[in-house]
Formats: sequence, C-alpha cells, structure tokens
Amino acid sequence: MAEENITFSLPDLGEGLVEATVLEWQVEVGERIGRNDPLVEVETTKSAVVIPSPESGVVAGLHAEEEQVVPVGAPLVTFTVERKDGPQAGIVGRVPTEEAAPRRRVRLKPPTD
Amino acid sequence: MTELIERAESAPETETIELSMQQAINRALRTLLAEDPRVLLFGEDVGALGGVFRVSDGLQKEFGDQRVFDTPLAESAIMGMAVGLAMNGWRPVPELQFDGFAYPAIDQIVNQVARMNYRTRGAAPMPITLRLPSFGGIQAPEHHGESLEALFAHTPGLKVVAPSDPGEAYSLLLQSVRSDDPVVYMEPKACYWDRRPVRLSEPTDPIGTSRVVRPGRHATLVAWGAMVHRCLQVAELAAEDGVELEVLDLRWLKPIDAAGLAASVARTKRAVVVHEAPLTAGLGAEVSSLITEQCFRDLAAPVQRVTGFDVPYPAGPLEHQYLPTIDRVLFAVQRTLEY
Repeated sequence: MAEENITFSLPDLGEGLVEATVLEWQVEVGERIGRNDPLVEVETTKSAVVIPSPESGVVAGLHAEEEQVVPVGAPLVTFTVERKDGPQAGIVGRVPTEEAAPRRRVRLKPPTD
Repeated sequence: MTELIERAESAPETETIELSMQQAINRALRTLLAEDPRVLLFGEDVGALGGVFRVSDGLQKEFGDQRVFDTPLAESAIMGMAVGLAMNGWRPVPELQFDGFAYPAIDQIVNQVARMNYRTRGAAPMPITLRLPSFGGIQAPEHHGESLEALFAHTPGLKVVAPSDPGEAYSLLLQSVRSDDPVVYMEPKACYWDRRPVRLSEPTDPIGTSRVVRPGRHATLVAWGAMVHRCLQVAELAAEDGVELEVLDLRWLKPIDAAGLAASVARTKRAVVVHEAPLTAGLGAEVSSLITEQCFRDLAAPVQRVTGFDVPYPAGPLEHQYLPTIDRVLFAVQRTLEY
C-alpha cells in the first residue's frame, strides 16, 4: 500500500456560482473520513449545503477557515489516501481481476472420431 | 506510469521486456510520431492529460501540442477534422474516447472516411487510424463497453483490427497507421493493464491474417480482443478432460482471414466463435459462414456461437453475466463434440 495526497477543490455547487462561504468544517486535521461522509457545510448565494467527502482517507489539511469566502476551483481540503499496489485503473472503469483458479461446472468428453 | 514507460523505452527493440498493452500502444504511437512528421494524434483528453487510460502519456510533452492535441468534446468534429487533414496530406490518428461515443461520429466515418478514396477514384486516400477503446470487462458505465466491430466491418472501405496482447498491439498499430487505408483499431479495454513479456517488433504478417495462439486438434475456438484470453482459459480447462482445443486469434476483423479459418477447421472439424457483441448479425455469423462455405464436407458439427445477448450492454455489476463465461464456451464445445 502506498500513500498519496489528494487535494479537493471547491466545485461549482450550482450553475455558474463563483464562490462559497465556509460555514462549518465537520472534520479536523488528522481525522479519518469515509467516502460520502459529511465534510464541510458551505453557503452559496443559492443555499447552504453539506459537501460529502469525495475520498476515503485521513484529512491532511484544511485550506479555508470558517467564515472564509472560497472561490470555485480553489483548494478546499487535502486528503491522504491509501493506494493499492498494482496497476491503477483509468479514469473510467476498473482493472479486471484475474481469477486464480477459473471456476467451471461443465466437463467435456473427448470425441471418439 | 510515466516512470514505467520511460524505463521500458530505454530497452532496444529486439529485447524482450515486460509491458502492459496500454504501454505497448504508447510505444507504438511514439515510434509512429517519431518516424513520420505527418502523423498527428488528437482526441478528447489525448494531449495534456495523456488519455483516460494513459495511452498517450508523455507524447504531447515530447512531440508538442501541434502534433498531439486535445479536441472539443465532439466526436463528429474529431472525425471530420481527420478527413480534412488526410485530404491535405496528413496521417491522422484520432481517438474516440469510448466505443459508445463513436455513434455520434458514424456519419463522418461511414459517409466520408470509408468512401472518400472510392469517391475520388483514389485521388484522396484516407490514411486515418481511428483508435477506439472498445469492448467490455472493466465495469464501466453505459456507452463504455460496446462492441462495434460488425458495424465497421460491414462498412465498405474500412479495415478493422483488434489486438489481444501487448506485442500484437504494438505491431498491429504500426501496420494500421502506415496503411494508406482507413483502419478502425479497437483497443480491448480489459487488456490495457495486462502485463506480459513482449518483444516489440515490426509487423511481419500481412494485413488480414489471423494467428493460432494455441494449437489443438479437437475443435477450433475463434476469438479476438479479450475473448482470446477467455478461450485460452477454456482450452486449458478442456485439456484436463483430454480435449485439445485450438485457439485462433482472428485479430483482423476486416478483411477476415478466410484461408486461416479454413486451414484450422479443416484439421479440427469443429468450430466455436466467441465474441462479446450481441448474437444477431454479429461478426460470429460471418465467421460461421466463412467456415461453413469452405469446410462444409470437413465439419463434424455445425459451427457454434457464444456471444453477448441481444440486449443493450448491461451495467458494470452485471457484465460478467453478459460476457461469454467459461461454462458457456465449454457447453458450446461439448455440443460440437457430441453432435
């Protein structure tokens, strides 16, 4: 297992929003967080929303204080995540796993000719 | 990834090295870009990102953004641009990011790419190689697991090829891009990470030839892409029962190696075609016909087909139920043995 830091930037939470205000962090630096766990509550000009965590790992750094206004695309949080050894999948899909012993139910009878 | 590719690149071409198919294709693209200044690589995320499967990793950096570049998310425009470039003397290697996204470009492919040479009586050949990550097996979302070979093979003017291992991927891509005819080069996504020792070599076999990857005498399994590996698994299991299966990697899906099929089946007297695409009007029907027409008197049983089902390609978690399983292929083999 190798560790890797991944920084998550503030996405556009509506259509064409340019910034959001951090209301409340729901994690601290050093805390372990699961994918889709509540990460941070932010307020845009449209609404206040809780952003779920896009990663599963340890919170390595928060890039904004509460009450701070963050532009869309600016770093929000950095995670330290574990990466499995072996080939990494592309952006879409998974690496196929090879069965160690392929399972079968059908037996064959050799031809008599 | 870049490190791995760099390490692989330091090895001379005659040496056996371990490479995944995605690295082998990267090596082939680099060879082609270096040898011919008319070769251009483009598509969605092909340039700065290096491709969603890292196939073009590092190539924009090495050859510049005039030769390796990103395009808008517009498949029809990608192929239309390839047509214009080809007419002006370039040798375009466009990528359509996934099989299912070739559909928006079908008009350009069928009406322009495939016909221009014919329409202009040879004045405007289309030396275009369409790189198309194809087939299923990686649990991807909808439109990312399609098998379009029958559609392209049915279109006069196109050649179609699907490699099954890294060494093949390398030499078949060299052959495709150097060809003055348009080639649809279908990259089996399920094989991208399959690492094996390969000797990267210049193409030796002519376009339109198949290859026997495992000799056997009781029946011939015909496949291409990732299904070649499924058939090799089946052949290994059949050997436990004393049944020796020959595995023929068709690789060129247009033109199809009719003579190669006949040579194999004339010896084994039985054949099973295995593909991922749906059954009806799939390429298995064409293969079955070619075998039957040439080997009618030799055949001990009707040619069997083991394929995907006549439904849209299913969601990722269900694809193992859709793709030909070991047992489905074994059943088909047994049907030919018992006939």
